[in-house]
Amino acid sequence: MTINTLSQDGVQRQQMPCLTKMERMIISMQDPDMGIKLRNQRLLITVIPHAMTGIDIVEWLIKKFSISDEEALHIGQLFVKYGYIYPLKEPRNLILKADDSPYRFQTPYYWMSTRWPASELDYAIYLAKKNIRKQGELIEYEKECYNALHKRINHTWDFVVMQAREQLRASKQRRKADRIVLECQEQAYWLVTRPPPGTLDNIDYGPERRTMNTRVQLNAEFYKKEIEHNRISLARNRVKSSICLESYVKYCEQYQPHDPIMQGCLPSNPWITDDIMFWNMNSEVVAVPTKLRVECWSFSFMELLNDPMGRKEFLTYLEKEFSAENLCFWQACEDVRHGETSKIPEKVDEVYKQFLSPGASRWVNIDSKTMEKTLEGLKHPHRFVLDDAQMHIYFLMKKDSYPRYLKSELYKNLLARAIVPQETKKSVFPFMRRQRHSSPSPALATQTGEDDGKAKNSNSVKSNSGTASRL
Amino acid sequence: MGKDECKTMLDALNKVTACYRHLVIALGSTSDSQNLREELKKTRKKAQELAVANRTKLTTLLKDKSISKDDRAEYERLWVLFTSSMELLEVDMKRSLEIGQDFPLKVPTRHLIQTGMTGSTTTVAARAMSVQNMKYEADASIDTVDLKELETEIAQVDQMMEEMEMKVQVAPWAVEAKQEAGAELKSTVSVGNSSVGVISICEEEPKETVEGETGLMKVQ
Repeated sequence: MTINTLSQDGVQRQQMPCLTKMERMIISMQDPDMGIKLRNQRLLITVIPHAMTGIDIVEWLIKKFSISDEEALHIGQLFVKYGYIYPLKEPRNLILKADDSPYRFQTPYYWMSTRWPASELDYAIYLAKKNIRKQGELIEYEKECYNALHKRINHTWDFVVMQAREQLRASKQRRKADRIVLECQEQAYWLVTRPPPGTLDNIDYGPERRTMNTRVQLNAEFYKKEIEHNRISLARNRVKSSICLESYVKYCEQYQPHDPIMQGCLPSNPWITDDIMFWNMNSEVVAVPTKLRVECWSFSFMELLNDPMGRKEFLTYLEKEFSAENLCFWQACEDVRHGETSKIPEKVDEVYKQFLSPGASRWVNIDSKTMEKTLEGLKHPHRFVLDDAQMHIYFLMKKDSYPRYLKSELYKNLLARAIVPQETKKSVFPFMRRQRHSSPSPALATQTGEDDGKAKNSNSVKSNSGTASRL
Repeated sequence: MGKDECKTMLDALNKVTACYRHLVIALGSTSDSQNLREELKKTRKKAQELAVANRTKLTTLLKDKSISKDDRAEYERLWVLFTSSMELLEVDMKRSLEIGQDFPLKVPTRHLIQTGMTGSTTTVAARAMSVQNMKYEADASIDTVDLKELETEIAQVDQMMEEMEMKVQVAPWAVEAKQEAGAELKSTVSVGNSSVGVISICEEEPKETVEGETGLMKVQ
C-alpha cells in the first residue's frame, strides 16, 4: 500500500487561510443575483453552460470590492493559478486574460487543498486513464512521470489499471456534455497540482510529518490537555500590527546607516574592490574603532555585549565603578550555556565558588528568591541552571550600568576618537575593469584544461559602473 | 476456488470505489442534489459491505499457513490491491464529509458551484449498486442527517484499517504487479473477473479533443 500521507488522529493539516479566503470569494461569485454573469459554451453540437469571460471576472471583482483594475486582475490571476477557475481555450496556460477568453469554475473536489494533497496513486490513475483515452499518446513529461510512477508504486500497479478502467466506465454513464466537463476539470486539476516541468509549483505543502507515535487515545485526558493548550494560546500576549510595524520602521531607520548594502560601506566594499581594509578596520581588536561601530553600542545593550571590543570597554568602565563582577558573572554563565556538556558541572562549581557562595571573592548581588532557587538547582547542575541568576544580573546591568556608561566620559571620548574611514579614491580611468581572478581552489588545480576557459569568462563579468576599481 | 472468489469481490469493490469517487466529484457543484446525497449514502454502504467481506476473506486466506508460496504471493498481491482501494475510499469519504458540510442543500440561497455539469448521476450510482434503476426514498434532511452517520462510518473505516495494518503482515515492496506499463492500452480484460451486469451508454466518442476548442460564446 502506498504510504499514507494523511496523518493519524490529532495531527491534521490545516487548509491555508489564503485558500479559505479564495474559496469564500468563489462561493460569493455563485450568487444568483450578485454573482458573475454566466454564458453558454458552444462546442460544435454540445452546449455547456456556466462559462464566463476573463473580462467578466475582472469587472465583477472591481465592482464587488471597489478595487482598481490592476488589483482585480491580480486577484483573478490568483484564482486561475490556484485552480479555482480554469481556462477553456488554452488549458495549459494558467493565466487570466481580461478579454473574452472563456473560463469555468472548478468543482470543490478538485479545489486546491493543503488538507488533501494529491497522492501518487491518484496521479498514476489519471495518467493511466489519459493513456487509454489517447491511445498511448501522452505528452513527453507525462510519459516520464508515468514510467517513474510505474517503478515507484509498482506493487499497486494492477490496482491503478483496474481503477483507471472502472473510472472511465463510470464516466461513460454520464451524458456527453458532462463528460467533457469532467475531463476538462480533471485535466485542469492535474495541471495545477502536477505542473509540467519549467512551471513554478503553486503551493508548498511544507515538510511531511511522519510521526509514527501519534496514535493518541481520544479520551478525557487528551481533551483536557487540548483545552488547557487552547486556553493558554488565547491568553498569549499579542501585539497590534500597528505598534509592531511602527517599531519595525524605527528599527530600519536606526540601522540603515549601518547596513553595507543599503548605505554602502567605507572605505570600500571588499567584495567588489578586493580591498580588505573594511574588515581590518572592524576586526575584534583594533586600536581605534570606527564611528559607526561605537554608535551601534548605544542602540541596545545586546549590541554592546555582542561586540568583543564593546564588552572590553564596558568591563573597563565597570571596574572603575567596582561592579565588574556582574559582567564577569554574566560571561561565565554564557560559557556554561554554550559550552561543552561534559564540562558543565565543573564550570558551574567554579561559578559558585567565585560568584555565588557567601564570602566569595566576586560576589554578585542577586535577590534572595533567585539565589535560593539557583542554589537548589546547583545540586543537579545542567546547562540552564544559572539562567535565572544570569537574567537578573543582565537586567541589573542593562537598567543601571549601561545607561550610565553611555553618558560616561569613557564612552564619549571613545566616540570622539572613533574614525570615519575615507572612501578610497576612485581610479582616474573609471572604465578600467579590475582583473578578476578566482581564488586558488583545490578543485581548479586538478582541471587545468578548463581553467583558461573559466578565467576568460570571469574577466568578462562587468562590475557596477559606480564602484571604485583599481588596477 | 478461493482465488476467483477473491478476485470477483475485489473487482466489485473496485467498481464501487470508482463510482463513489465519481459521485464525490459532483458534490458541491450544480450536479449536486438531494438524490446525489442519497446515492452517496447508498454507494458508501455498499462499499463498506464489500470492504468487510473482502477483508474477512483475505485475512482468512492469508492466515492459512498451509498454502503454497505462489498462492501466498498471489494473496499478498490481492491484499495490496485491497488496501489501495480502501485508501481511496477513506480519502473520498473524508472529503465527502468536508464538502457535504460546506455545501448544505437546504439553505435559503444555494451557492452550489456552477461547474457546467448539470446532468444527474443516477446511472453512475445504478452501476455501483448493480441495479437497473435507482429508487429514491430519503427525506429532505438527508444532507445533514447523513453527515453524522458518515462521521461514524469514517471512524469505523479508520479503525478497520488500523487493525488491518496490525494484524496482517504484508510487505508491499515484496509484491510485484502482474501488469506491465501500458497494459491498460490492451484489451479491456481486467485483472479479476469483471462483473457483467452493468448498464453502459453506447455513445460514440467524437474524435476531436476538448482542448483547443474554439467555443462560440453566446450570452445566456
